[in-house]
Amino acid sequence: MASSGSGYDLSSSTFSPDGRIFQVEYASRAVESSGAALGLRCADGIVLCVEKPMNKKMMVTKNTPAGRRIYAVDGKTGLALAGYPGDGRQVANRAREEAANYLETYGSEIPPDVLAARLSAYVHYFTLHGALRPFGCTALLAGYDAATQRHSLHMVEPSGSCFEYYAAAAGRGRQPARTEMEKLAVNPTRAAAAAASGGAGGVGGEEGMERGQQLISVAEGVRQLAKIVYTIRDSGGNGGSGASKDGPFEIEMSWLCEKTGWKHVGVPKDVMEEAVEWAKREIEAEGEEEDEDDDEEDGMEE
Amino acid sequence: MSLSLQSGGSSSRVSASSFSATGTGIVAAANAAGNQVTTRPITTGTSVLGIKYRNGVMLAADTLVSYGSLAKYKNARRLLPVNSRTLIGASGEYSDLQSISDLLIANALEDRCTADSLYEEDNTNEECAKEVWSYLRAVMYQRRNKMNPLWNDVIVAGFQQNPDGSTSDTPFLGTVDKIGTAYEDDMLATGFGGYIALPLMREKYRPDMEEGEARALLEDCLRILFYRDCRALNRVQIAKVTKEGGVLVSEPYELDTFWDYKGYVSTKAGMGTDGGW
Amino acid sequence: MFSQPLAHHQHHQSLAEADAYHGKSAETRHLKPGELSTGTTIMAVQFNGGVVLCADSRVSTGSYVANRASDKIAQLHDHIWCCRSGSAADTQALTDYVKHYLSQLAIETGRLPEVKVAAHLMRRLCYQNKDYLMAGVIVGGWDPVSNGAVYNIPLGGACIPMPFALGGSGSTFIYGLVDAEYKENMTKDEALALVRKAVSHAMARDGSSGGIIRTLVATEEGNVKEFISGNKLPYGPAGW
Repeated sequence: MASSGSGYDLSSSTFSPDGRIFQVEYASRAVESSGAALGLRCADGIVLCVEKPMNKKMMVTKNTPAGRRIYAVDGKTGLALAGYPGDGRQVANRAREEAANYLETYGSEIPPDVLAARLSAYVHYFTLHGALRPFGCTALLAGYDAATQRHSLHMVEPSGSCFEYYAAAAGRGRQPARTEMEKLAVNPTRAAAAAASGGAGGVGGEEGMERGQQLISVAEGVRQLAKIVYTIRDSGGNGGSGASKDGPFEIEMSWLCEKTGWKHVGVPKDVMEEAVEWAKREIEAEGEEEDEDDDEEDGMEE
Repeated sequence: MSLSLQSGGSSSRVSASSFSATGTGIVAAANAAGNQVTTRPITTGTSVLGIKYRNGVMLAADTLVSYGSLAKYKNARRLLPVNSRTLIGASGEYSDLQSISDLLIANALEDRCTADSLYEEDNTNEECAKEVWSYLRAVMYQRRNKMNPLWNDVIVAGFQQNPDGSTSDTPFLGTVDKIGTAYEDDMLATGFGGYIALPLMREKYRPDMEEGEARALLEDCLRILFYRDCRALNRVQIAKVTKEGGVLVSEPYELDTFWDYKGYVSTKAGMGTDGGW
Repeated sequence: MFSQPLAHHQHHQSLAEADAYHGKSAETRHLKPGELSTGTTIMAVQFNGGVVLCADSRVSTGSYVANRASDKIAQLHDHIWCCRSGSAADTQALTDYVKHYLSQLAIETGRLPEVKVAAHLMRRLCYQNKDYLMAGVIVGGWDPVSNGAVYNIPLGGACIPMPFALGGSGSTFIYGLVDAEYKENMTKDEALALVRKAVSHAMARDGSSGGIIRTLVATEEGNVKEFISGNKLPYGPAGW
């Protein structure tokens, strides 16, 4: 590491000669080693999901607020975090302050894009000063804008960058997770293009998007996210369910959707359990298919 | 009850003489330190009534906000839910009621967002009515000590809390006035209602009243207040808190009134009489 | 006595005191000597798709008319306006602040501000500085969420949404007229006719209101300002 920074990585207040701020990059790396945080913008709402590794066997996890990684910002906004939990809590608290302050000042709820922008300005501030450490966390912000009746998902990264997404992932396994999420019908323009061009493999090669396919619902989103979490944990072997090769873990999920009156609440536990069961079955079935394929290939080789 | 503030107000009028231009129409008087303080309400609501009954607590108020003697706003809501199981109602300065409501709702929102669980059913740390009432007492008392009172008499309704945080079966009804005096009772009335409605409520009250009986009693009281309070209206709201249903506030509706007494209909002030009133 | 509502002050006033504040109504009595007051009639009515705001044009110091053709309808944002009453200085300062906050908000959010937000800003300023202000304001306008809204912010800084609002010293004379003439779901032209008739009648009976009538119609399409000369007011038939 020392060679990669070559003296320019000790403070975020100094650029390296090729224009990089190593401390910010290291902060991003801190996020990469955390359990994944996923967000999916569906037709009728947004689902947030975090994967929580439970590596310590003696840890108390039931009925305790400790270790939570999805926070409520105001009634209609939720925040899922990947990275250092302490840093994440700081960001969540700031989000709450911004939301409460906006409500007090303007007598109306803060629009999600404004909250995301303010939050990213806050996170960005910590990348400017030599005396400050950038946040080692990435925040996924799910919100509903009552004025425009639109729901949106934003991701704020340690650099202070902030974009809106149809699907976003942070933390360990975010790349395979993104690949999986790209197959889901969550992007209206791509879904429409896929439908118009006659189905899968149309414009941009939309794998998995059938002709005339509707955008998926939050109910479907919950199942898909559960499947993705199990998939990314299992990738590389140990197929099936339960504790993966990475050890035991928990899933935390929340949503805000038409059905909850656009309130951000936890996904009901029975819905989550059902989704997890479905995910495990799917993964198992896909595993069997692959096995069959392998058998055939073996057969041909013979 | 209102003694100390009002006399506080008029004694400070002496030092207000420096504001001679404002004369009798004083908006602000001065305290010893020379700071200006609020000394009178401008947009006002009249009585609020509250009563416990078998399954819950009920509040009632009319929807009039007066501007002096002008009946300026005839559809203003003075019964406000502050969280899922607590309700307040207030008489007095309407802008102060709005800011009390904003404060309590902001507190409730913060409580909800910082709750232990994402699941509403797991969260038992929502303020119960008694906590809201205690908090409000502290706020009102502090403001009056700063010689800048919130000019309201507030009634808080809801349920007590069990030690484990769950909602208890015991209803709660309490009041806080503009100087921070606070007490609980089975039935309460602010403003004019204290003189006119409360005696009627005391006469009719039973702890095991059904919801319908409680509502009928409160409606009777509001009707009589409408007859006898110059700042009252027959457009009213009723609100209740029950353990199962939480807070429910009715839309404003109008009470029927009765004017057909024989003595009212027949003339009393004709030429042949000695007049009447 | 400080706890008494406005009207009671008038009651308890001795004749001598009344003389000392000659020419001042309950609303304008609190002004400092020489302070300009828009002792006024102002009004706003919501209709389907927008609002109409209306005001007289008299500005007075005591019983002298300082300006007979003033404009009491101030713009807060593209489609949001307010009618001012009370101290001219106070209400000008207030509208300047709200204008400033709204323009900043519009830039930050990248969208048109809501009338509700304008009213909330105005209310916060009026409430928090109630001891130092003499301002009764009606905020009205069009926004894509409400499709037209009116808020009344009287002296103490309460904020009340209404389908129509009256304000200023002259308003007390026309409450009955407006109560009788107001209908729900009026068209723009009906609303315009109502405010013109009502404000004309207030101007005829309130010494502190007068001059011309200015109206403003705010809709999605934009704002239309009009005025009616002081000699063409829809008043009467009674003139005595």
